[in-house]
Amino acid sequence: MATIAETPTPPAPKRRRSRRETRNDGGSAVSTYGLLAPMLIVLGILFLAPLYYIFLFSVGLKRFSPTDALASLNGELNAFSTELWTKLISVDVTVLIPGLNFDVPVLVVGIVFVVLLITAVTAGRIPEYGSWIVGVAFVLLLAPFLTFPAGNNLLRLVEFSSEGQYMRLFFKSVSMAMTSSVVAVLIAIPVAYFLAFCVGKSKYTWLLIVIAPFLTSYLLRVFAWKVILGDQGLINSGLTTIGLIDEPLTFLIYSQFTVIIVLTYAWVPFICLPIFLSFETIDRRLLEAAMDLGATRMQAFRKISLPIIAPGIVAAFLFVFIPSIGEYITPTLVGGTQGTMYGQSLANQFVGGAFNWQFGSVMSLFLLGIVLLLTFTTSRFLRAGGGGL
Amino acid sequence: MARDSSTFVVISPWGKRLLAAFFVIFLVVLYLPTVLLIIFSFNNGTVAAFPLEGLTTKYYGLAFQSEEIRKALSASFWVGLGAAFFATLIALMASYPLARRNVRGKALISALMLVPLVVPTVVLGVALLILFQRGPGQIGLGLMRIMLAHIVIAIPFAVLILLPRIASIDRRLEEAAYDLGASGLQTFRFVMLPLIVPSIVSAFLISFVFSIDEVVIASFLSSEQVTYPVYLYSGLKFPEKTQTLIPVATIMIVISFALAFGAEAIRRYGDRRLVGK
Repeated sequence: MATIAETPTPPAPKRRRSRRETRNDGGSAVSTYGLLAPMLIVLGILFLAPLYYIFLFSVGLKRFSPTDALASLNGELNAFSTELWTKLISVDVTVLIPGLNFDVPVLVVGIVFVVLLITAVTAGRIPEYGSWIVGVAFVLLLAPFLTFPAGNNLLRLVEFSSEGQYMRLFFKSVSMAMTSSVVAVLIAIPVAYFLAFCVGKSKYTWLLIVIAPFLTSYLLRVFAWKVILGDQGLINSGLTTIGLIDEPLTFLIYSQFTVIIVLTYAWVPFICLPIFLSFETIDRRLLEAAMDLGATRMQAFRKISLPIIAPGIVAAFLFVFIPSIGEYITPTLVGGTQGTMYGQSLANQFVGGAFNWQFGSVMSLFLLGIVLLLTFTTSRFLRAGGGGL
Repeated sequence: MARDSSTFVVISPWGKRLLAAFFVIFLVVLYLPTVLLIIFSFNNGTVAAFPLEGLTTKYYGLAFQSEEIRKALSASFWVGLGAAFFATLIALMASYPLARRNVRGKALISALMLVPLVVPTVVLGVALLILFQRGPGQIGLGLMRIMLAHIVIAIPFAVLILLPRIASIDRRLEEAAYDLGASGLQTFRFVMLPLIVPSIVSAFLISFVFSIDEVVIASFLSSEQVTYPVYLYSGLKFPEKTQTLIPVATIMIVISFALAFGAEAIRRYGDRRLVGK
């Protein structure tokens, strides 16, 4: 049936091209740009203009108010100065020198972050080498997660006394975002594999069932985790009832651990889709051929499936990672003091206690720059994985 | 039989059982929070914690008597409706030339259109806050501004649904209409529109669902009257207030599940119809 429907299609491209040249589809240039105009105007006014204002604020060309008492108090709301940028991106040297104030996860994640960026840029040119780097990076990324029980002390990020607090906070956010995106990908792969290969005809229905929670209220799902992980929550009361513990496990709620769990939970349904779609593109006959030629299933997976799904997996990772860096709601609700993230500190400059719009704008530009850099260097993967979105 | 043998190729029988078990656990954990919320909405206690203190529906009654909640819900509803309507309309207008015509700078326009998806919402929120508070005219904050902000972020979602659909429609259908003397508008109305109605509805629903759930930007831009997610967000910070919030939350979850499945069902119906042609 499908073949019959498709048979007359081949001559179409040729005609299409000639039509396009003569623009004979009833549309003039005026109507073309007229139809695009509303979107461009909306994006110009409500997207580009706000970002431009952030820029104006960051360099001191615009101010919250000329007579702002708070601003004149801390003397930072004047003309452009590099001071605010220095304040933001300065790094506490003790972090970098082992032995002085060795902060393993922050350091590791910082290095991995740079490596990943470089890899993303060069992956197209040196595929073999690049995939190994990504692999090693992923393993390293799990380090902060694995050291978690001791991590309360390892990540001494609550002491906001020294210089470089903002960079520490930023890399901590990056670390938390990375951990949750890696875990989310590791969970989504078997789920997508199962859906793609083992479920049969009903797989799209199951896929919808997996994705549906993503479309329900994010706030409520975060809140529900409070009910599960809280001091009187499902886990703590359950463990107390069966007598395993006397006191509630306090690290379950209001900690980095909670933020990572909740972020992972929130994004897993969403990334099952791109990974599922990349599994769908695998031609099973390739796998059959490989096994006929004596490959084991693992070898077939490693040599055939993995290279095909790799872009989808990288895309899935980025789909979680990019929005998680600037996460604001989750750490506010379940992070407590230990699980704070960069986005909170940023928002705090505008609506919270810090109240320094100029510095907040500098923080926004920094975050925006990092996110856009990540997006454009990896747009190849995003496009590959976003085909089904 | 053929299916079985090809499944055998990708996974061993034991591996399949293992994966199935993993999948079941995954689904349980995935739906556990939602189920818990529903259970707690009937809890006769003052805080959402174990053990349960008996079942009651009194909080449902309390929730609907609350003036605050009703106002917040209706604010959210109108903001969502407006944002979904304008986002779908603008996306529909923009998708057509992007799918069909030679547009100069198409790559740039597409990039600009999709970038709001990756810009952290907290950055966009404070940027709009700055613009509305200190920009030309200093137009201030409020529900209308929240709606405008939601339009920006809903546009990419709507375009991502509409553009592939428009591009997939056989060009010759339109050409036939032109050959028969139809104007551009008639062609759109009688040829294109009937084919893309399911996608339009789907784009509208997704935009609506996005808007009634969006909290970051809304919390930055709201003035006296808040939207429901902002109300919920400020309430969730205080444990003693949460019990009255859960019933409405439960209803909202059920509604968004219904909308999500509805949007998908409509989209599939459209797919089938298009393939059927």
